[in-house]
Amino acid sequence: MPTDRRSQGRGLRPCLPLVALLAALAGSPASAQSTPPSGRLLAAQCAQCHGTNGRAVGGFESIAGMKANDLYKSLLEMSRRRPENIMDLQARAYTPAQLRLIAEYLATLPRARD
Amino acid sequence: MSNRRTFVKMAALAAAGWSLSRPLAAQMARPRVVVVGGGFGGATVAKYLKLWGGNVDVTLVDRASSHYACILSNLVITGALPISRIQLGYQSLKTNRGVEVLQGEALTVDPVARELTVQVGSGRQTLPYDRLVLSPGVEFTPPVGRYDPVLTPHAWKAGPQTLLLRDRLRAMTANQTFILTIPKSPYRCPPGPYERACAVADYLKRRKRGARVLVLDANAGIQAEPRNFGNAFAGIYKDVLTYVPDSTILSVDSDTGVLVTTQGSFTGDVVNIIPEHRAGQLVIDTGLANDPTGRWAVVDPLTYASVAEPDIHVLGDSQGTGQPKSGHMANSQAKVCADAIIRAFNGETPDPAPVTSSACFSPITSSTASWLTASFQYDPATRTMKRVDASFAEASRPTSDGMQQMFQWADNIFADSFA
Ligand SMILES: Cc1cc2nc3c(=O)[nH]c(=O)nc-3n(C[C@H](O)[C@H](O)[C@H](O)COP(=O)(O)OP(=O)(O)OC[C@H]3O[C@@H](n4cnc5c(N)ncnc54)[C@H](O)[C@@H]3O)c2cc1C
Repeated sequence: MPTDRRSQGRGLRPCLPLVALLAALAGSPASAQSTPPSGRLLAAQCAQCHGTNGRAVGGFESIAGMKANDLYKSLLEMSRRRPENIMDLQARAYTPAQLRLIAEYLATLPRARD
Repeated sequence: MSNRRTFVKMAALAAAGWSLSRPLAAQMARPRVVVVGGGFGGATVAKYLKLWGGNVDVTLVDRASSHYACILSNLVITGALPISRIQLGYQSLKTNRGVEVLQGEALTVDPVARELTVQVGSGRQTLPYDRLVLSPGVEFTPPVGRYDPVLTPHAWKAGPQTLLLRDRLRAMTANQTFILTIPKSPYRCPPGPYERACAVADYLKRRKRGARVLVLDANAGIQAEPRNFGNAFAGIYKDVLTYVPDSTILSVDSDTGVLVTTQGSFTGDVVNIIPEHRAGQLVIDTGLANDPTGRWAVVDPLTYASVAEPDIHVLGDSQGTGQPKSGHMANSQAKVCADAIIRAFNGETPDPAPVTSSACFSPITSSTASWLTASFQYDPATRTMKRVDASFAEASRPTSDGMQQMFQWADNIFADSFA
């Protein structure tokens, strides 16, 4: 294992924009992507049941690539009806604006094959 | 290996006409994250750092070559499931996600040099990091007395302990007593001990005539799903199960199976002691268990960075935000942490409004299960994760649908964390 990167590590933080700039100039994706798509982190909290990137490995529905409006409407309805199942409670965790972000993000993902 | 990658990158840059002084070359290194603990928190953070982070080097360190999930482990104890059902390997993280996996015991952290020392076989390796993530689960505080976890297994970390308790339960004869002790909260999986009590009671009722379960709870009452567990204790299991609240263990003798508690002395044929919990030893040794009890790590819930060492993140059971200690929650926090680390590498601030959740499914009988769920929103005023009360509930009753959902949920959370 390398042990000689200590000074490199220490220098990393303050100089990140420079790293990104250099990387971009060099045509290399070295450091980083830009700001994560909004909704991605929130939508990742669906994955424990609905699978990574909205593709369930079985049982629960895959939610990747659904129409944003349809998904938003059903999430909103779940959050407002009398709670019957675990999903109705999970939907209550989020504000309507957050539910919209989740629906819009999931809509950008490729639809899972059944 | 990262030396080689760094070299390749530098060579490519040099070829592209860049002449690099050493400090600049140094800055071109890929950011490096080391994760300790390949359980629910650690596996998930490693996976999502690669999934979302692009060019971040991630090394996952665990002492074992695979992880045994506690989730579903009560059904291994009753023999309903084979142990292989809860064995989760790291192969997919390696081959599909590009995580480096190192089997070894993480020994010490040097937060100034930013290095983790790991015992690997008979040698030691030093892993430099830009960020270190600790998700080592829990450590147990042994009870006073002649305590031996082999004679009186906890089975509260899955694996060999699960099999020990399974074999002890299997070997019970008619009219014997199984004692289960529950530690003071917080402990991992709030409904877990009551779920175990039900699983054992169901097993004894069906297999061991006249045998009984005695539940000695250090807490004043049932800590989770009071309706479903309360109904089960007072209903279907009333002839085989006795529940004694406020019974704190004063001393233990694992040889004789005698427990002295604040509610008197009890003797069991099988004694399942779940000791008090604290953060993983590495968190304690690194000085990060800095909450008022000295047991859990105080972290910023926007990043899970320790307030004492901002380059070290602590998540899952070891952190002390007050969110429940569950695998679902560890997975949930790991995503917030991965997102925040990637943003930090990009010079960005963390997401200001993360949401986390927890879900536990508990078998109540051999054909029904209940569930418990709660979600948390960040509250900027107190800088804490606050429970969204409308999202917090237990199932109205145990059902066979619940049992089916439990297995579906387990499949998905296993894959979302480990595949
Ligand atoms: C009986 C039972 C039932 C449960 N049921 C549920 C449930 O239904 N739903 C739910 O969400 N949760 C459940 N849980 C809780 C869940 O198992 C834990 O909350 C979860 O595993 C915590 O994740 P973690 O990453 O903090 O720790 P863990 O998953 O325990 O992972 C810690 C890992 O770190 C490794 N490690 C520790 N220290 C070192 C070191 N120094 N060097 C190398 N490796 C190290 C260990 O080997 C281990 O693999 C249950 C728990 C129990 C006991």
